[in-house]
Amino acid sequence: MQDIARGNRVLVTGLGVISPLGPDTDANLRSLLEGKDCVAPIEIFDVSRTRCKTAGQIPDVWLEKAFPPGRVSDRFHRGARMAALALREASKVANGAKPELMVVGTTVGGMSYGELFYRRLLATKSRKGFARLVGNYTPQKPIQDALELNRLRIPTQILTNACSSGSNAIGHGFELVRHGLRSCVVCGGYEPLCELVFVGFDSLQAATPEKIRPFDRNRTGLVLGEGAAFLILESERSANSRGAVALAEMVGYGVSTDTYHLTQPNPSGIGPKLAMQRALDSGGVAAGAIDYVNAHGTATIFNDATEGAAISELCGKVPVSSTKSMMGHALGAAGAIEAAFCVLALRDQFLPPNINFVQPDPAWKFEVVANQFRAARVNYALSNSIGFGGTNATLILKQT
Amino acid sequence: MNFCIQGIGAVTPLGPTGLETWLALCDGQHAPRTRFGKALADRNYFACPVPGKFLGGAARQPRLRRSGTISLLAALAGSDAFADAGLKLDSGLGDRIAVVFAICSGGINYTRRFYHEIATQGANCASPLLFPETVYNAAASHLAALLGVDGQSYTLVGDSSVGLAAIHFATELLTMQPRLDRCLVVGTEEVDWLLADAFASWRMATNRDQFEVYGRTNGTIFGEGAAAVLVGRTGSLMIAKCSAGLPFHSLSETESAAKEMFCHLPREGAFEMIVSSANGTFADEVEGKVFSEFYPAVPVYAPKPALGEALGAGALLQVAVAGWALRHQRLPGTLRAGCKLLSVNRETRSLPSSQALVTCVGFNHQVNALKLCLVQSAY
Repeated sequence: MQDIARGNRVLVTGLGVISPLGPDTDANLRSLLEGKDCVAPIEIFDVSRTRCKTAGQIPDVWLEKAFPPGRVSDRFHRGARMAALALREASKVANGAKPELMVVGTTVGGMSYGELFYRRLLATKSRKGFARLVGNYTPQKPIQDALELNRLRIPTQILTNACSSGSNAIGHGFELVRHGLRSCVVCGGYEPLCELVFVGFDSLQAATPEKIRPFDRNRTGLVLGEGAAFLILESERSANSRGAVALAEMVGYGVSTDTYHLTQPNPSGIGPKLAMQRALDSGGVAAGAIDYVNAHGTATIFNDATEGAAISELCGKVPVSSTKSMMGHALGAAGAIEAAFCVLALRDQFLPPNINFVQPDPAWKFEVVANQFRAARVNYALSNSIGFGGTNATLILKQT
Repeated sequence: MNFCIQGIGAVTPLGPTGLETWLALCDGQHAPRTRFGKALADRNYFACPVPGKFLGGAARQPRLRRSGTISLLAALAGSDAFADAGLKLDSGLGDRIAVVFAICSGGINYTRRFYHEIATQGANCASPLLFPETVYNAAASHLAALLGVDGQSYTLVGDSSVGLAAIHFATELLTMQPRLDRCLVVGTEEVDWLLADAFASWRMATNRDQFEVYGRTNGTIFGEGAAAVLVGRTGSLMIAKCSAGLPFHSLSETESAAKEMFCHLPREGAFEMIVSSANGTFADEVEGKVFSEFYPAVPVYAPKPALGEALGAGALLQVAVAGWALRHQRLPGTLRAGCKLLSVNRETRSLPSSQALVTCVGFNHQVNALKLCLVQSAY
């Protein structure tokens, strides 16, 4: 990704977000400015026997408002409805863009249907409704449904690179447009909460029963979240030809694979550091030019230590926040949601807050945007994603 | 810009390497069927697992000591592709090679065991040792670690056509990044009672020990295995055409999607064989209709009756078969072929050919095709 030949300018001409912070971009922006804590007790499955009992959740009422219950919409998985809603908004904002490809990140897709299938298998001999569950649990099916709901029929690439999936999807879409392989791509991620993954993080003791406090000296772990976000990326020529308004420019993408361990990052921080350096090289941006870092910042001991070391080493005293502090970690959608937040930060010139922050960790040089948003000059924003399997991805966006 | 397949590797129920699999296919062998017990309900299924003795080499790797079968299979197929390309499996490939995985069900054994603990004993009893291996990109992570790849590792998920999408993804990476020498594209799949039962409830799997293709569509039998292709900038097997695939939103759209996808490629005469995805489901009818209409004289080979439906590995196994067929100028006979497609190849035979078409109709909304050309005979 660090090739110098940079090709086309890539503009963000469409943006759609649904997260626990709100059902659309405006609502998400308001919550970011308020520093709203949207982590709440889990309602959609039993958490009586887990340590962690909270998550950032999307209220069903938002989805029901967009897709009223009925024979057709009942068929769609929650994840499909989230994706459809974000895709609808992105298409509306882009106003006439014609994406040729969809690149999407997720980690579980419609897994909750798989869980329901399994529980019914244990409980009953009847197979009524099984076909619907099997046909809709795969990660690609909710995306096909979201496309259908938006009357789009384009090829899709579904990436499952754990928690960096959303950033990888946007990064790959960016590279395709930059190198002229496509002129318009819709890319992002979606992730509905599910019991299996929630319990998985709980079993690893990565999830906390307390508040999520990224980069705090006394951080105790992550809480999960959910949501979907899509960006429409378009070549400058394509955007200009139809008079589209650019919300931001995407300039850099870098990836690395940390082979240290399946679930633990190399403590040296080499994984995220390589991804960040490659993204900077890819965009021809000096580390000192970065005005804001939207960190992966899961608030686990290991993640924040390694990412913090990498940010400190590369970017020094840059303002950093983890917006996961407000909505939890949306896994495969996280990178996409956080890229969308970077677009808003660039457009509206502010630094999103890192809430629940009490005590700085002296190990790092950077400055945490503590608890409240801040108006600031933001020309370049960098977004990090770090996933299981050692997948690291960094995106760099620029104000237009 | 065209790219080439430099090495092909596989591990299947028929052999621990690609070459042994190919010889067994030409010999008319089919993978032994193993009966799955009544795991969770009073229903039996057959499947084609890879014998444990084939996995020994991978299982001895420290990194893989706790990993699931799909990771072991992927590591073996990846090594085999390197060996086929005449390359040494280096542990320090850095960022000059990318790893691209094609996954369908993922680590279903570990996923079932982990969720079973949650559902039957409670969330507090779920094992933290199982969870990491349930993540879709676990197999890619392990293989990247074995190869010393510190650059790009991508896992694509999809239906049984995902392998072709992964090859297309690899060609995109190679097109955009001149510094990248190669992409190792791997598809891998493991079998489990749960998978068979789920697909049976969807009328896609049968509980019999055989299935017919281009005949009665009673459902498929699942197979286990992995296939890998090393895609680079030069080589004797050129990828003449591949794509990200085309979605269909309903069964009625499948045929038009297949026509659109298969007929974007040059018409009859431009390739001398088709390696199809026929698996005893609706896919056979769709492919059969399009082949009969557009390519009635091109012989069709369907490897799935011999190997089982290996989902995430399925399309890459088809590509592997097409590559071997072009290299060896032979086409195996399709086992248990029904009478609905006249052009189906029924006996192994010599077939002078320079181009092959690989077609996939996925069960879950994707159609795709790839054309492979023999640039020079290495055999």
